[in-house]
Amino acid sequence: MLNLTQTLRSLTVASVLAAGAAVAGPYDEYAGTTLIVNFPAHPHYDAVRKILPEFTAETGIEVEVDQLPYLKMRERQTLELAQDEGDYDLIAYVVFSKADYVYADQLENLARYFMNPKLSDPNYDADDLIDGYVYNIGFAGGNKGYLEGKTGSLFGIPYGSETSILGYRKDVFEKHGLSVPESYDELLEIACKIPELEPGMGGLSSRAASGHHASHAFLLHLAPLGGRIFDDNWNPIVNNEAGVQAANALKTIVDCGPEGAASFGFGEALGSFLAGDTAMFLDTTVVAGQIDDPSKSKVVGKVDWALHPMGTRRGSQTGGFGIGIPKNAENKEAAFLLMQWLTSKKGDKLVALAGGNPSRFSTHEDADVNAKFPHMSTFGEALKHADPDWRPIIPVWGKINADLGTTLSKVLTEDLDIQEALDGVAERTKAVMEEAGYYTWSN
Amino acid sequence: MTSVGSFIMNKATANRFTPYIFLLPAAVIMVLALLYPLGYMIYGSFRDWDPSQSLTESTFVGLKNYITLWNDPNFRESTLVTLKFAISVVTFEMIIGVGLALLLDRNLRGMSVLRTLFILPMMIAPVVVGLIWRYMYHPTLGVFNRGLKSVGLESVDWLGQHALLSVIIADIWQWTPFIFILALAALQSLPRSALEAARIDGATGWQQIIHIKLPLMMPVLIVTCLLRLIDAFKVLEVILVMTEGGPGLSTEIMALRISRTATEFRELGVAAAMSNYLLIMLLMLTVLMLVYNRYMEYRASRAMLAARGA
Amino acid sequence: MTTDTQQRQHPGFYAIVVMLIIMAVGPIALMLINSFKLDVDIISGTTGLLFMPTIQNYETALCDILPYELEHLDYCALKFGGAFINSLIIALVSTVLTLIIGCMAAYALVRFKFMGRDTASATTLMVRMVPPAVLLVPVFGLWNNEFCIDKASWLGSLIRDNFGGRGDVCLAGTHSGIILIYIAMNLPFVIWILQSFIVQVPRQLEEAARMDGAGPFQVFFKVVLPLIKPGLAAAAIFTFRIAWNEYLLASALSDRDTKTVPILIVNNMSEFNVEWGVIMATGMLLAIPPIIFTLFASRQIITGMTAGAVKG
Repeated sequence: MLNLTQTLRSLTVASVLAAGAAVAGPYDEYAGTTLIVNFPAHPHYDAVRKILPEFTAETGIEVEVDQLPYLKMRERQTLELAQDEGDYDLIAYVVFSKADYVYADQLENLARYFMNPKLSDPNYDADDLIDGYVYNIGFAGGNKGYLEGKTGSLFGIPYGSETSILGYRKDVFEKHGLSVPESYDELLEIACKIPELEPGMGGLSSRAASGHHASHAFLLHLAPLGGRIFDDNWNPIVNNEAGVQAANALKTIVDCGPEGAASFGFGEALGSFLAGDTAMFLDTTVVAGQIDDPSKSKVVGKVDWALHPMGTRRGSQTGGFGIGIPKNAENKEAAFLLMQWLTSKKGDKLVALAGGNPSRFSTHEDADVNAKFPHMSTFGEALKHADPDWRPIIPVWGKINADLGTTLSKVLTEDLDIQEALDGVAERTKAVMEEAGYYTWSN
Repeated sequence: MTSVGSFIMNKATANRFTPYIFLLPAAVIMVLALLYPLGYMIYGSFRDWDPSQSLTESTFVGLKNYITLWNDPNFRESTLVTLKFAISVVTFEMIIGVGLALLLDRNLRGMSVLRTLFILPMMIAPVVVGLIWRYMYHPTLGVFNRGLKSVGLESVDWLGQHALLSVIIADIWQWTPFIFILALAALQSLPRSALEAARIDGATGWQQIIHIKLPLMMPVLIVTCLLRLIDAFKVLEVILVMTEGGPGLSTEIMALRISRTATEFRELGVAAAMSNYLLIMLLMLTVLMLVYNRYMEYRASRAMLAARGA
Repeated sequence: MTTDTQQRQHPGFYAIVVMLIIMAVGPIALMLINSFKLDVDIISGTTGLLFMPTIQNYETALCDILPYELEHLDYCALKFGGAFINSLIIALVSTVLTLIIGCMAAYALVRFKFMGRDTASATTLMVRMVPPAVLLVPVFGLWNNEFCIDKASWLGSLIRDNFGGRGDVCLAGTHSGIILIYIAMNLPFVIWILQSFIVQVPRQLEEAARMDGAGPFQVFFKVVLPLIKPGLAAAAIFTFRIAWNEYLLASALSDRDTKTVPILIVNNMSEFNVEWGVIMATGMLLAIPPIIFTLFASRQIITGMTAGAVKG
């Protein structure tokens, strides 16, 4: 019965297509298939859901979306990818999952699909994809195992590329004659000046809650200030001068931030900027859509954007998601077609217009997109400075990240000494790395 | 069906086997879904076990998980947080609950309404309780800080600086009624004669409470207290929704840490070992309760014998 | 007893009672009020009742089962209706089964002397203390990897052909998997409570029925069950409450089609977009069944609570 309706449906779609073009189209064979995809609850993927009906209309391939908060999504995927046969045909994954999935041989190498003339679209223009993100999110096996390099290959395509950007309140800055901070010193100075100038308003709202949030906020400052988690031989150097400086910056920002800043997750930090309780916001580019949405924001039209301030170098974060095809998927070819469609020039532009984060150079320069979102060109500029090595993408990172996040949260709420705290993190990290075999070759 | 029917008809065999037939479904389910899993967990706690493996594929590591945990300052802190949470919650709830019961043990008109509405907090989902309180504690939107601000006071960073206290308050809100209702029931079932006698002897209200009411209520109160203590170790959802264990580890009770170790850190073996530590702690409490019960029964029978002898 | 001793009490006591009622119900009322507000109203801080009530939050929550399209939504993200149905199925089935099975076991423990009775009794009491978090790891492992039927076996292929899905047929991700663990979790408590009610059933009644030629099962269903109805009601409410409210195990065992309401609520507190109005509306919907039970059966609940604790 099910098969019958499927064939019927594909027949109608095929006949419709045949009326337009005499030659069978690339999608015909897969029309009527239902793809099950796993996406995060995230503004970019909210935008993706808006454009999916267009894909179905064009190709006859149905898409069922299972949308989960991204930590939940990762848990779910860990389980699904380990099965012999999985439910998901296409998954979106967080950057740091790349290490786990590829290492466990759970993602399809995309070479087979891009080589297949029946599947691969000649007009795809892969060179237009932003390099840093392709390497950061989709590429594995290169230098250090996770960076660009001659030994690597492609397992996913970036979709929903984010970087960090500074949002600031034009009105507040104008009122007090402040200039937009370009360096970290200026940033910290202004962040602490604002609560004096505007009583009740915080300087910069940052995430700081225990765990992932605190760690993320710290890493955001670590790269521009010249720090790294590891040196080239995987020795932890998070407790060096740059590390301490970054932790100090985070502490200053939280201290001069809005009320309750020490317990803010991303949502609270953004919420406080949306409610007009802070003058600056330094985090991912995904928030732009919400800041311009009058039903959520009280600061519509009052916000402008600038590049992530510089410390010793430019180093905004590389984040966001990639999409890949699980090894145990049922409809891999159709999943590839969806993936290609979403990341094509057309798909990228559509999702940008729906409020998503484009991953192509051309989309950032596109006139229509810029007319709707004037900030898009600044965002494009920021993406060029994105630092693909701002955090290591190795399988044990989850554990180190959790430890870093809890320790930093203690620094923020319990006044733990910064040097002492980071020394502790470095020591425990060393043990984790030792156990994972990273020092096998260093003796 | 027919075979069971004829089996029951045969009364001689029925007598011997009926209790087992009555018990069978419960026994099968408990063995399959409780005892076997517990054994499975104990077995797993000696292994290096990843969620993507089945248990047989994992490697045996002996006591390593237990030793790692024992030396892990984070685990120790989380144990401490669990104990702090459980003990303070039970202490406050007992004091407030029993106090209110003593105060309100009289014929007030609104009592039945009060009792009904009082049960509401413990009937609704912990997840919902968590989200209500998370909202009320919100630094700017919450009712507490808005209230403080409207009377001109500094607002308080509830879930940041005072997370454990905030979580404890939420639990007290949810569970004090439990103690109140049990204490009230105990009070109302006290022998009237003892109270009458005390009143005739001219005992004041306080004297009645300390010398007569509390001692007579004691058996029920202790059982209630232990039940509540065991339940306090089970709390998870309220804290998960309110603070997710943070800031730092300040509200990361053991149940939460187990679930994070299993799902976020993907170390099922360590999570299993942690579960065992928690289980041992609870086992000791339960044994304590059983021993206490036996002791009370023994004392009661002794008292009865003594009374008969006199 | 009640009327003649009802002397006038100090008004202070009434003040305390009123205050306690406000404290108990206040937070719930707050949730109810906020669930009728738009996010803008919640954020802007118009405290009190000065706002335009709207059912938009409830519409957003229930978008997948509403018969009409919603203008304020581009697509239906929250599958709340489906989760609500899952929650209902799981809570009701597990409650009914727990009661039947628990009742039989309690009867056997009270009325028959047999080998292993004390062990059974003690085990029941011991497993009562096991926290759900402790079951998380083993249940996750077993339900996903061990309690499976090979998809090539006749039963496995039968299930796959009729219900779809891929891979071996495992308990995880099915309603039955969640129901099984809820029954196991609730049985000890139900057996414990029902024992205290069955003890009070006069033996003579059972004897009389047996004289009339009733078998043990007839005695149980025709004589004992009707007499312990209040106990059953209390046990039912407590079982339902746990099955309806539980989050941790359900979230480990459910897949995208078997999510229950608590999971949906926790998932929806997404960090990117805290929509207080919708969250309050979903919370309210989850809280409604327990609230109704409480208002209509508070006496049974209190009986159950006291029986469970005082009997010991």
